Amino acid sequence: MIAPAGSTHGSTHDHVATHDHAAADILLRVQDLKVWFPITEGLLIERHIGDVRAVDGVSFELRKGETLGLVGESGCGKSTTGRAIVRLYKPTAGTIEFDGRDISGLDGKELQQLRRRFQMIFQDPYASLNPRMTAGNTVSEPLDVHGVGTKAERRERVRDLFSTVGLNPDYAVRYPHEFSGGQRQRIGVARALALDPDLIVADEPISALDVSIQAQVINLLERLQDRLGLTYLFIAHDLSVVRHISDRIAVMYLGRIVETAPSRELNSRPLHPYSVALLSAVPIPDPKVERRRRRIILKGDVPSPVNPPSGCHFHTRCWLRERLGNPERCSAEVPLLRPLSTGHAVACHFAEEVDGSREQLQATGRGGADAMPAGGEAAAEAVPVSVPAAPVADDEALLVASPYATPQPTEAGALADLRMPLQPDPPAPARDARDET
Amino acid sequence: MTTTLPAAPPDRAGALEPLLDVRDLLVRFRTHDGTIHAVNGVSFQLQRGERLGLVGESGCGKSVTNLAIIRLLPKPAGRIEGGSVRFDGQDLVTLDESDVREIRGRDIAMIFQDPMTSLNPVLTVEEQMIETIVAHRKMPKADARARAVELLGMVGIPQPEKRLKSFPHQFSGGMRQRVMIAMALALEPKLLIADEPTTALDVTIQAQVLELISRLTTETGTSLVLITHDLGVVAGMTDRINVMYAGFIIETATTGELFDRPSHPYTVGLLHSMPRVDDREGDPLIPIEGRPPDMRNLPNGCPFAPRCAWRLPICWSDNPPLEPVVPGSPVVASGPAATHRIACHNPPTAEEAVHGHPSRPGHVPAPPPAGQLDELTSYAALADGGVRPEHLQVAPAAHDIDHEVPARHENAHHHHDGDDHHGPEDSG
Repeated sequence: MIAPAGSTHGSTHDHVATHDHAAADILLRVQDLKVWFPITEGLLIERHIGDVRAVDGVSFELRKGETLGLVGESGCGKSTTGRAIVRLYKPTAGTIEFDGRDISGLDGKELQQLRRRFQMIFQDPYASLNPRMTAGNTVSEPLDVHGVGTKAERRERVRDLFSTVGLNPDYAVRYPHEFSGGQRQRIGVARALALDPDLIVADEPISALDVSIQAQVINLLERLQDRLGLTYLFIAHDLSVVRHISDRIAVMYLGRIVETAPSRELNSRPLHPYSVALLSAVPIPDPKVERRRRRIILKGDVPSPVNPPSGCHFHTRCWLRERLGNPERCSAEVPLLRPLSTGHAVACHFAEEVDGSREQLQATGRGGADAMPAGGEAAAEAVPVSVPAAPVADDEALLVASPYATPQPTEAGALADLRMPLQPDPPAPARDARDET
Repeated sequence: MTTTLPAAPPDRAGALEPLLDVRDLLVRFRTHDGTIHAVNGVSFQLQRGERLGLVGESGCGKSVTNLAIIRLLPKPAGRIEGGSVRFDGQDLVTLDESDVREIRGRDIAMIFQDPMTSLNPVLTVEEQMIETIVAHRKMPKADARARAVELLGMVGIPQPEKRLKSFPHQFSGGMRQRVMIAMALALEPKLLIADEPTTALDVTIQAQVLELISRLTTETGTSLVLITHDLGVVAGMTDRINVMYAGFIIETATTGELFDRPSHPYTVGLLHSMPRVDDREGDPLIPIEGRPPDMRNLPNGCPFAPRCAWRLPICWSDNPPLEPVVPGSPVVASGPAATHRIACHNPPTAEEAVHGHPSRPGHVPAPPPAGQLDELTSYAALADGGVRPEHLQVAPAAHDIDHEVPARHENAHHHHDGDDHHGPEDSG
């Protein structure tokens, strides 16, 4: 086994592997993961009448020392994916390869042994700590379960962990209610670190915290990663937080990954119509930027995962499909995640149409309110950008002006910058943002 | 259309009078654990058609301020203990309960964070909407029903005729919030108070709902008070912003001015502790150390002093009043020319606001008087790298890591939380 403490970002990412990157670099490889929850009917004789397809064929890789952000709206399957990876759920299908070993079918002793190496941080620091256990016992429980060290050594380890996460070791004797929300989340982090794991799955670790406390926990997680060489799967609904902490981002919609990209790339050049809409919906705390942006208002709610739409799951709400005259292909054929440029893969039949589109420019704040792709070649397909006066029909996406938006001239430079041609190339290992700096 | 504070005509409902004029509002909650100083002398005004953002963390008094305005404070614990709330020429604080009930719903409408708790789960949307309309407008039920259908259509609910018969649980979260908006706007109120209207919603649904609120209030000229913890939401939705901390307004300015030139250390801190989806690579977050003060036991000085890197000795003893950023300038309380005001003895310079930490040579945050909480040198702050010496150009005062007197003090209160008073909550 490879000692995680020895690996740092620099060392793990430096060698630019082309074909053999599968070897030592990959910590986690998830392939075609499906987690379906059966729906049954009948009291004595249960009949299987359907499935909630929470995760419906998800594949991704996670390299050592990397942070992958998994982002999407509630019900998209991001938390289920995280829980299946730490094997709190048994996958319905697919493989989860952890450090070269498929753990999707493991159970019993073997699973327990391997669990030391992947741990989880939960969203709600109030619900995930046992109110009747002291903070110290909570943090030491994994050590007890796995029989690590002597009692005295464990106590010493708990004190170490407390100072590592910024808690006074003397507080180990206190109970959860004596801590604030931020401190409780630190206890959760200490518990996850107790067994020196390689991978930490953090499921919305800061959403329950106040704004001013969130940054404390984000900084703590970043500091720990630098120090301990941890690998994170960071699950959150908030694109700006995910953007901050992740090297790469995977966007999920209705049980599937629709786009993966280096985090900067995803935010400056989203290529899936859903990612564009998601990005455009994130408010930016700057009125000047907000005035330049427009939101793509998706019509309606996410469809039910019991009976997801055929073909592309997003086709019922897709603004691009509408633009293209509702091509048959979207509802007939499941789009595969295909590489469009280095490290950037998109599951959309028409992703090329997204690049350089007005929607993309406006969502990223690069385009003016009525920015058009330079040259005017797209003028023919201009959609009137107006505020709808009446309720709109189902299955319709609208590009509406932010009500506070006033048209602003476009910066030509920003446009040119974004209209680089797409180069489809083989799935090379994604270079992440950290390498470049 | 601006009103200067001293010149506000007291009683005439003229064009010059703001729609809402809150002065020195003081709200206290008397609990077994002591008195909670929820709102501590808040004054602000709102013009007709103006959109005001109220920003702050949980417990800063932003929601309580508005519950006090509409006289919905939880009784008997919550009481308005001072100040006045003039709305459209009437003082809501001294008004009869029955008169207040008339105004609520008709002139002032509210939307809350969780639409499920605001809607009655055992009545259909139809029954609830008609009840609201008929209670304030004497009109036949059939007309009220037609109006309800019209309203549901207006907020973008498909097949309004059919959906009117549904119960609240049959709607999704976003749709429920639309129903709430339809009900709030049913009587064409003059003021809409939206308390974290989108916090429980997904971001794409949040965009739908904010767009809807914005469009409808603009169309009808309704004034808006938008309460939120999210600076991103107010940036796009409001004309003016009040930032609240520990029951005080600590900064107020027009929206453009506030983001251009944030001037209170807390506002600066908030802006630097939120990651932005468009921020540059490697911009580190600068957290605000520690946590908000215990509202039962506010310090004498500035309530933000324990967490403030700019603090001076005076900050520990004197709570600064809300004053113009440019000393001596006349105070305009509302409208597009509203004066930028802050409550701070030692505001960050423009450059410091950009960097998020004090950068003047020789500045060291004033050490606290004996027994006072200091979040900057708390265990977590030091472990996290807190107020980094390079930010201060001088090593922080020699507070050693075991110096945890303050933390004991804060935890003493939390110990109470777990005691019998809150027992039912814990077990329930």
